Amino acid sequence: MLRKNIPYRFVLTVILVASFYLQPFAQGWDVPADKKAKNSYIKFDKATAKEGETVYTKNCQSCHGDIGKNNSLKSLKPIPPDLSSTKSQQLTDGELFYILNTGRMIMPSFNNVLSETDRWKVISYIRSFNNSYIQVLSKTDPTKSNLVKINLSYDSINSIVRVQVTASEKAGVVALKNSEIILFANRYFGKLQIDKTLRTDNDGIALFRFTKNLPGDKSGNVELIVKVNDDKYGEILSQSKLKIGVPTDKPSLTEKRAIWNVLLKAPIWLIITYTSGVLIFGVFLLFLLYGLFRIKKSGNN
Amino acid sequence: MLEQSKIEKITSDLLRPIRLSKSFMAWMGFLGVSLVVCLGAYAMQLKDGLVVTGLGDYVSWGMYISNFVFFVATSLIGMLISAVLGLSGAKWASPLARIAEIIALAFAAVAGLVIVSDMGHPERLLNVFMYGRIQSPILWDVTVVTIYVLISALFLYIPLIPDLKICADKLDKLPPFARNIYKALSLNWSGSHEQEKIIKQLTRAIAIFIIPVALAIHTVTSWLFASTSRVGWDSTIFGPYFVTGAFVSGTAAVIIAMYFYRKNYKLEDYITLSHFDKIGKLLVLVSLIYLYFNLNEYMVPGYKMKKFDAIHLNALFTGTHALLFWSVQIFGLILPIILLVFNKMRKPLPMLVIASFVLVGAWFKRYIIVIPTMEHPFLPIQNVPLNFKVYSPTLIETLVTIAPFILVLLIITILSKVIPIISIHETIKELEEKNN
Repeated sequence: MLRKNIPYRFVLTVILVASFYLQPFAQGWDVPADKKAKNSYIKFDKATAKEGETVYTKNCQSCHGDIGKNNSLKSLKPIPPDLSSTKSQQLTDGELFYILNTGRMIMPSFNNVLSETDRWKVISYIRSFNNSYIQVLSKTDPTKSNLVKINLSYDSINSIVRVQVTASEKAGVVALKNSEIILFANRYFGKLQIDKTLRTDNDGIALFRFTKNLPGDKSGNVELIVKVNDDKYGEILSQSKLKIGVPTDKPSLTEKRAIWNVLLKAPIWLIITYTSGVLIFGVFLLFLLYGLFRIKKSGNN
Repeated sequence: MLEQSKIEKITSDLLRPIRLSKSFMAWMGFLGVSLVVCLGAYAMQLKDGLVVTGLGDYVSWGMYISNFVFFVATSLIGMLISAVLGLSGAKWASPLARIAEIIALAFAAVAGLVIVSDMGHPERLLNVFMYGRIQSPILWDVTVVTIYVLISALFLYIPLIPDLKICADKLDKLPPFARNIYKALSLNWSGSHEQEKIIKQLTRAIAIFIIPVALAIHTVTSWLFASTSRVGWDSTIFGPYFVTGAFVSGTAAVIIAMYFYRKNYKLEDYITLSHFDKIGKLLVLVSLIYLYFNLNEYMVPGYKMKKFDAIHLNALFTGTHALLFWSVQIFGLILPIILLVFNKMRKPLPMLVIASFVLVGAWFKRYIIVIPTMEHPFLPIQNVPLNFKVYSPTLIETLVTIAPFILVLLIITILSKVIPIISIHETIKELEEKNN
């Protein structure tokens, strides 16, 4: 049995290993045509490039290195390209934006990490290394997103978060139909997505299934973030607090006296031990100095 | 009563080294030049930071910290010889008391500086006092080292008071300012019964008090390591392990000092062959105790070979650090014990050689305690260049490590040029007691 298994296992291993190594080279970025043609509504100038540099340093530099210095992290597979390279600069703004949004393999998705504005600013920074680049500005009006209103309500019986997205146009209130909509709960170390990414229906409504056991603050409040992506209105973010979590009141780790706390909250036994040690020494030192004083005094007589 | 001529001879014999000789000037010149070279290296470190050393993210404690441990260890000898042997009535050790105290003071005082050399920003030492937390062993260490330096200085000074009076009276060709300093420091010593009583009382009190302080200084130093959960440091016997190791290096340092004092200062009548014989036996005793602690420290985890311990211990026993580890154990501990058991080996010259091996071994033992653990963190080291994983000290770092040794030698040399290294007062008193 065992013997027969070996060739089979060997072939399987070879295929697995080979596919792992070959995968990055076999596939390119498959960017849909409409995404490829997308342009930024932010003007790529010195100011936005400077702001983009800050975002880049925080989120991208650790792998891609300093742009133009070709010092990306070579131990990764595939090696992250230096973004000033011809290959990277040949990509359209839309392609760069898509890559940034979706990520692939070891490149993480920044869709839910950075705001759309910040993502475009990073691209503005990347473009600042290309002198022959000429920007085509998007006709999208970023101020249109201000017209959008997001309404949140919670159906506690079915534990469903209902989100309605509308825009107050001059002609009246219209619903945002078929817009991409994502719901997050704000956590300590980032945003936790609730349910799946949905699309609004004809009334601009999306229903998210909510888990009942999500810990909230002392009174059960959970901060929810709704993110809407609409072709016409752009990206819209809205935050609101709903009392839908499990009330959680864990004492802070720095509340009580502890080894790891600040000096004023040191454990009593430590304060006593340390202080008495120093005091005993102080008293002893005084005793010695007094002894020396006695010697000197006795010599005077 | 003792004859006056005998007292005169003792006084002149022990005061003889206190004068500026050509060889002293040459030796000081050599130390001075070496110190300038090392300080030049330190200036480079001060300018560029710790990047000039082999230290990094993984091995962040290197030679400087092992040097610190060695200095603290060696300074413990003052407590062993002057306090423990003195209190237990071992009279033979009393001529060695001051030598041990000078060594203790010099090493303890410089130990604080060694720690500062491990800081890229030495001015940030103030932060320990401004924002220090008493939960941190580092603060305890700073506290006990300071206390020990003060106590050691007083332990050297108080029994010295009668001798300072002798210096002020008997030293000829002394510049007036120097005579005034001796006079001021001798605190109107007249040798009265009351003064003798107070000094005896103070010396005894300090001899008792210095024992817990000395134990504390090296135990706390061991806690800098043992209060972490790192492999090789996470040990309950680290305190006594360090203290017993300290006696080994301290005794070796005293033997080396004895040899040179005896030879250069012509003190054959005072530091006798019997002293060498006895301190040789003492070295065997403390080395055996240390060997016993080594056995516990390495054999017990070595028998169990727990997952992370195994990586560390294999590197020591058979891996990259094996040569150093076994050299230190064999040439710095086991062979000296075996050799010193023989009468023939407990003579000045062989003991100088053996003690030198012990002292060098003791230094590398601290290296073995500090560095391999740093190379074996719990989380695997990945995707970093080789020089991040493996520690190799740089030339600048080596020079900065040598600097404290030069400082210690300077302190010892200067101290033994201004005070008699064997108590004149005590020697005369003991002879009187013997005659009576």
